[in-house]
Order: sequence, then C-alpha cells, then structure tokens
Amino acid sequence: MANVVRLQYESKPPPFGHEMRKCFSFDPEYINMNHGSYGSLPSPVAEAIKPYYALAEANPDLFHRFTSIDLIRDVRKRMAKFVGAAHTEEVVFVPNASHGLNTILRSFIWEEGDIISSCNTTYNSISRTAEYISDIPPHPEAVQFTLLFPTSHSEIIQNWRAYVKSLNEIRNQSAQKLGRRPKIVAIIDSIISVPGALLPWKEMVKICKEEDVWSVVDGAHSIGQELDLNLAEANPDFWVTNCHKWMYAKRGCALLYVPKRNQHIIKASFPTSHAYKKGGGSNFVEQFEWNGTIDFVPYISASCALDFRAWLGGEHVINDYCHRIALEGGKRLAQILGTEIIDQGQDFQFTLSMVNVAVPFPPTMSSAFEIDMAFRRKLLIKRKIYPAFFYHNGKWWIRCSAQIWSQVEDFEVLGEAILEASKEILEEFGDGTEKKTMIIEDKDERLIVN
Amino acid sequence: MSSQKFIEPVALDQLLKKPHQFFQNRAAPKFGHEFLPYYSFNKGFLNLNNGSFGALPIVITEACNELTAWQEDNTDYYYRIGFIPPLIGVREQIARFVGATDVDEIVMAANTSTGMGLVLRNFLWQSGDIIIRFNTTYGTVYKTIQYIHDTNPDVEISQYELLFPTTREAILEGWQRHIHNVKRNAPKGSKIVAVVDSIVANPGASMPWKEMVRICKDAGVWAVVDGAHSVGQEPLDLAASGADFFVSSAHKWLNAKRGCAFIWFSKRSREIMLTTIPTSASYVSPGPDRPETNIISQFQYNGTIDYTPYLSVHYALQWREWIGGESAIHKYCNNLAREGGRRLAKIMDTQVMDPDGEFTLAMVNVVLPFPKDFSSSYDAAVASALTNKLLAQNMFAVTFYHRELWWTRVSAQIWNELSDFEILGNAFVSICGQIVIEHQNANIPPDSKAKSFHSYLDHPFRGAVACDPNDGLDCPRPVTATTVVPVGYHTHLASIRP
Repeated sequence: MANVVRLQYESKPPPFGHEMRKCFSFDPEYINMNHGSYGSLPSPVAEAIKPYYALAEANPDLFHRFTSIDLIRDVRKRMAKFVGAAHTEEVVFVPNASHGLNTILRSFIWEEGDIISSCNTTYNSISRTAEYISDIPPHPEAVQFTLLFPTSHSEIIQNWRAYVKSLNEIRNQSAQKLGRRPKIVAIIDSIISVPGALLPWKEMVKICKEEDVWSVVDGAHSIGQELDLNLAEANPDFWVTNCHKWMYAKRGCALLYVPKRNQHIIKASFPTSHAYKKGGGSNFVEQFEWNGTIDFVPYISASCALDFRAWLGGEHVINDYCHRIALEGGKRLAQILGTEIIDQGQDFQFTLSMVNVAVPFPPTMSSAFEIDMAFRRKLLIKRKIYPAFFYHNGKWWIRCSAQIWSQVEDFEVLGEAILEASKEILEEFGDGTEKKTMIIEDKDERLIVN
Repeated sequence: MSSQKFIEPVALDQLLKKPHQFFQNRAAPKFGHEFLPYYSFNKGFLNLNNGSFGALPIVITEACNELTAWQEDNTDYYYRIGFIPPLIGVREQIARFVGATDVDEIVMAANTSTGMGLVLRNFLWQSGDIIIRFNTTYGTVYKTIQYIHDTNPDVEISQYELLFPTTREAILEGWQRHIHNVKRNAPKGSKIVAVVDSIVANPGASMPWKEMVRICKDAGVWAVVDGAHSVGQEPLDLAASGADFFVSSAHKWLNAKRGCAFIWFSKRSREIMLTTIPTSASYVSPGPDRPETNIISQFQYNGTIDYTPYLSVHYALQWREWIGGESAIHKYCNNLAREGGRRLAKIMDTQVMDPDGEFTLAMVNVVLPFPKDFSSSYDAAVASALTNKLLAQNMFAVTFYHRELWWTRVSAQIWNELSDFEILGNAFVSICGQIVIEHQNANIPPDSKAKSFHSYLDHPFRGAVACDPNDGLDCPRPVTATTVVPVGYHTHLASIRP
C-alpha cells in the first residue's frame, strides 16, 4: 500500500511579510493582492510533488491503476479529519468547486414545482448553473435571496429565516395542487466571493433543516481561510471547497463532502464512472475514484500543502496574520481612498482574510462592465498590482486578499494606484451623469470574476 | 522611471510561437530503443501499453514545467488574459490537424470520458428516444448511457453486440441491419443517438467508423464518435466524416500531457450543446439573446483548471514533427504491431485476433496461453492476477476477457522493437502457467468472484498470489525533507523578457 510521505522541513520558515515571497514564484514586480481568485502554489509544494510526476511517467500503468488510487485514499483520510467529517467516505476529490456543485445540483431528480434558490451574491457560474437547471424541463423555479451590504450577521439570519419560510409557503401551495411535496434546494455561500465576506452559514444551514430545505454549501473559499470547519457538527447536506485557493494545493483540487445520509442523492459522478450503478449511494467513493484520465497529482498535493502550512506554524498562526493584515490594510486603504470598508460592524464579523473597500467614484458612476475591464488594464497590466473589482449595491468595490506575503504597505501602494486609475477612468467614462461613448480597447478581454 | 513601471507582462502566446529550442539543430534518433532515453520510464520497464495512459517525452515534461511556472508568475494575468491566445492557438492547431473547417469546431476537455459525457448529457432526452451503444463501448461511456436511461426511464438503450473475430464487411452489414430495425421500431418524432467507437478499447480494434457514421446519417441517426484512441494513431478528416460529434484524447497517442482531449462538433451539432459541465459564468439561456458562439465562450473558462495539459499540445505537435512526422510514426507502429502480434502468437502458441490486419493500427490483440476450460467464465481475480504479475516483472500490456478467451492488447510505440514482444510472450507463458496452478490451489468457492481490481486484494485468491506491485520496483521515492530555496523569479522567463 502506498502512503503519502509527510514532509519534514530542514530549515526555519521566512517571517511572514515580503520575505515570504521566497516561498512563491511571483514576478518580483507584481504585488499579489488577489490570492482569493485562483490561489498561489508555494515553491516548496511545487517541488514536493515532482516525485509524484516522476512516478506517473516511470510506470504509467502502476501509477494510474494502483499507486495514485492508494495515495489519494490516504490524502482523503487526512482531509476528512481536517474538515471534521465523521467518516473518510464522506469526502472525495473533484477538480474544482464549480464541478462539485454541478455534480450535486445535477444529481437531484428535478420535478415540476421544485424550487432552486440562490442569492444575488452567489458565485456567477453557480447562478448560471441554477439558471440552466431551470431552463431545461421540468423547469424547477429559480428564486433568489437578496443580500445587500452593509448588513450584519444577525440581519442576514433574520432575513434568511423569513425568506426560507416564504419558500415553504409557496411549496405548501404547490403541494396541494400537485398532490406531492416538491423539494427546495438552497445554495448558500460559506464565504461569498464578491464581496469577500464570511456568512453565518452554519446558522443558515440550521434554518434550512428546520424548514425541510436542502442546504448546498459553496465553501469554495473556506478551507485554509475559515478555521474550525467541523462539518459533522455544522451538518450541511452538501459542502464543497477549493483546496487550491486558501490551502495552497495545486490547481485543480477541491473537496466534495456528502454525509452518508445524503449519498443516495448523488446519482453519479461527472463524468460517469465504470463503477456506476443505479440508485447511487452504495458505492459513492468508488464512483469518484476513476472518472477518466486526469492529472491526479493536484489531489496528492493537498497533503504536501498541509505539511507546508504546518511548517509555517499551522492554521491559526497563518490565519491570525492574514486576518490582521486584512483589517489593518483595509482600514489604511479606506483612509487613502477616502471611502469605507464594506464590513461596517465593530467586530468585523464578515472579514477573514479578504477585505472590501469602496472605490472613490461618485454615486452616479455607471455599473458597466467596461469599467471593470478598464481597471484590469490599468492595474493588472500597467501597474502590476491587482485586486478583484466588483459592483454591489450601487457602488464599485475592491476586494483585497491578505496573504502570508502581504504587508500593510501593499495596501498603500494599491491605494495610490487606485486613486490614479479611478481618476483616469472618470475622465474616460464620465461620472455617469452624461452619456459618453465607452471605448472597449481589447475585444478579446473576458470578464472573469472569482 | 514611469516607463519602467509600465512594462507589460510577456504574453504567453509569444512564448509558444517560437519553436522550442530543443528541436533546433538536433537529429532525432531512429525509432526503437534509441528513443527510450527521451522518455522517463523506470530502468528496464517494458512499456507495451501506450494505449491506456500515453507517455510524456522528457522534453515536453520540461516544457510543461515552464508553462506551470508561468501560471505562478502572475496568476491573475494568466487566468484573465494570458491563457486565452495560446489556448485559441492550440485549438487552431488541432482544427488543422484533424480536418475541422474552423477553430470553433474544436473545444477542449479533460479526457474522452468527460467529452462524451458533455455531449450525451447535453441532449434533451425525451420519452421514446433511443441511445445505441455496443457491448464494447468503453466503461465510462457505457455507464453514462446507463445513467441517462436510469434517470430518464423512457429513454431506451439499444445494444449492438460486437464480437471478435469478425470482418469489416460483417460489421457493416450487421450495423446496417441494426440501424434499420431500430429506426423501424422507433416512435414517431423520437431521436436516435448512436455512440460508435472509432477504435475500440478492448479489443484494440480500428473500426470502419466512417462507413458506420454514414449509415447513421443516411438513416437520420445522430452519430457521436468516441475517438479516444484516434488522434495520433490514425489520420483524421472530421468535417468530411459526416459525424455529428467526435471526441479524442490527445494524451494517448498524440504525446500531450494527461488531462487533454478535444471535442469536435459540426456547426450544425452546436445546437445540442447548451452548457459545459460545470456551467460557465458566460452561459446564456437558450433564446434570441443567446449568441451562436455562446458554447465556445463557455468552454474557454468554466472553473479553475490547470491549462498546461491543453497548452502542451503545442509542444506535442513539434515533437511529432521532429521525430519524423505522422506518416512515419504510423508506418512504424502499424508494422511493429502486426509483426509483433505474429511473434507473440508464435511464442505463446496461440493466435492473433486479426490475422488479416483489417482492424490493426498500432494495437494488436493476441490470445493468452490458458487451457481452454480455464477461460470458460470470467473471473476478475484472474484479471487482477495478470495485471499484478506483469507489473511485478516490470512490464505491462493490457489483458481482457472477450468471448470466453483471455487476450492481451499490446500497443506498439516508437520506443518499442520486436524483441519487446518476445519478452512479453515468454513472460505470459510463465505468468499464465503460474495463475492456473495458483487458481487451482486456492480452491476458490464457485460463487466467490472478485468484482474489481481492488476487491482482488480481499479475495481468497490474493493469498495464493503473493505479489505487491509496489514491491522491488525501482521507483523514485517521494522526498522526505525539503530546504526552502529562495526561488523568486523563474530564470527562464527572465531571459525572454523584452
């Protein structure tokens, strides 16, 4: 049986801050303030996985038929413990969170009268997934919970409870007409992508349970950023997270968590496995072990990533630093820009390692996507610094990711860059009060927000 | 000072447009064992199974490392802007290579199972529809069709039995009849979708798929071709083939990195493709507002993946040119498959499945030397024992059960020579002999059959076959410690910065 070797580091880690860039391979001129979108692969992890690539080429049959399967089972054991699952068999690997969420949402046998609920803040590809499911027969109804910042956890919980109850009333009416009880499936973010904000998702899941609503949790940003996950306790119906975001695994590596009681819902993996059989559930893990030839090393890299993080001091040490920088940096940025952080409560309950600050535009500023493109050109390409941009509740915002290589000075550099760039954009696009032709410089640019 | 601040990141497609320096001013070796140093196989590993997982030449492995370093250099630039031109470039190259009429007839997928799943799950299945599959349809695709029927019980499966040995003529006659019967009995207005292999996996057999596609199209039946083994093993002219969909894995016979396949679909077939899986952020609901090329945009980005496997095609095509080009590669492999198959059959005193060679490209199938009564029923324990014993001898070829016989499917590749087949033949003679004895001694109860590779390890037979495939093999051990080196900037990329 092959086991994943735990790494032991011979030297001490560099201190957090700019010196930590030694452990990554960034362009020295690039200030990375957007780890949250695609993650970053530490060089020691990149090195640590090279022997697994060598194994894959040394004897492709041995690796793909035996070794990789054993290794990944070993890693799953470690991951199950890490997220607090009750059983290793409740955790499988998928290429990314979108894939995991699609696997879940497509597995439900949708019927007339069913309701699929997302939020205005649901990640864009998942909203489109819900839309697609509603577009095809039997056309379950797609509904949306509205969440607008500024707000508070208690306000969200209150509104969520009222919302879910109202969905139940709609369902009860349908039930009478249809002679059977339709299902309600709610997609909940643990941490919203834009704005980057921690939600009271465990309470929201509890409310779903009380109202007999399926809870599908998009935890893409959670692992490595949110401490003490303890899924067995939180008990969502389904939960998905990206290990290649805040946990430093290689892309694409994500976890799909399905508690044993719900495994019968997952009819098949995507693509369908050799091991598929009708009814699903009974061989849940086996169905996710082989879905066609892929690069399996990213799944193995999750273990190497955890070793790296342990070497740095562990989850609490990493997250205490990132959280502190996010708050200090966010406040400094808001000061420089003369604006505010989206998380306005005294206790910053929405802020883990991501902080969202308003762009200094007048309230009349257009929400056109060309402005996002303009920021991308001016920041990412011209000034080699980049946070995610998004429009929310009448304002443009920046989402910054604080990481172990970040320092408060980075937020100052960003502040100056944003001041310059937003002035330029105001000149080019106008302030929204008069019509101005917007020039799109590069038609090949695509809007990809994470 | 300000001009220094505004240097644009080097575009990745600039990097890829230059031919890789490895191929400049360097002569390729002769086909055969001279090529082994260009691959990363274990010392002495006899690889006669390119067909399952392919093999990545060392130069392409290293080029891929550079591509991956690129991702880390400026990840936002890469994922929002940088990967797009080279990905389009790769799709253009594939389009030319396989005879597509336009780059937008090609999209990428992780592997053929995914590509086939994407196509089959996009059809809007209705009561009365029929899916035609074969007993030889590849497992994941076979089960995808099963899954579609299980979740849409009014969608019927019609299975065509393909039994070897046979002839191309017999297959075409039988197929014509089958299509005719299905068509005749199909409810009015229903659609019929046929899933046809261009090259079957087990046995490894090249099918008269173009003629089979024509038979489908003449009858108004959708033709979805599982071409997993085709690209790089046979020349392709997909627009001329008349197929509706064609999926093939570039990481098998085309030397790309694992995790790389493409879907070809004609413009006419595009209407079927509503969504990628997972659904992309750029998905637009069907209707007048949905652009005709929306599915192409969706395939460009639909979740964070490592694009390196897709981009590796760029290097794979250069490699193939350098080693001699498509005709030379096909000629060498086809000749070796035929000669090798004959030699193998001689040593094992059995027979080649396809002595006339009408189904043989780079894979050949030969009966294994088991006594006749031994093969009368399938036992996965025997399948597992064959696999384990081959690996224990530092070699591999696929083994499979078909029509009450055990067979081996052998892949002939540019690093193989005839002597490889001789070694394999002798190995099988001893392996099969051992298995018969151990199977007898194990006294396995008749109802206790192993169901999968891994259940073999709990099967009573396991005890009789003391062999751990990881034992005694010269595998590199994973690192146990690592020192942090100040890596910082990747020096190769620094050399091409303007």
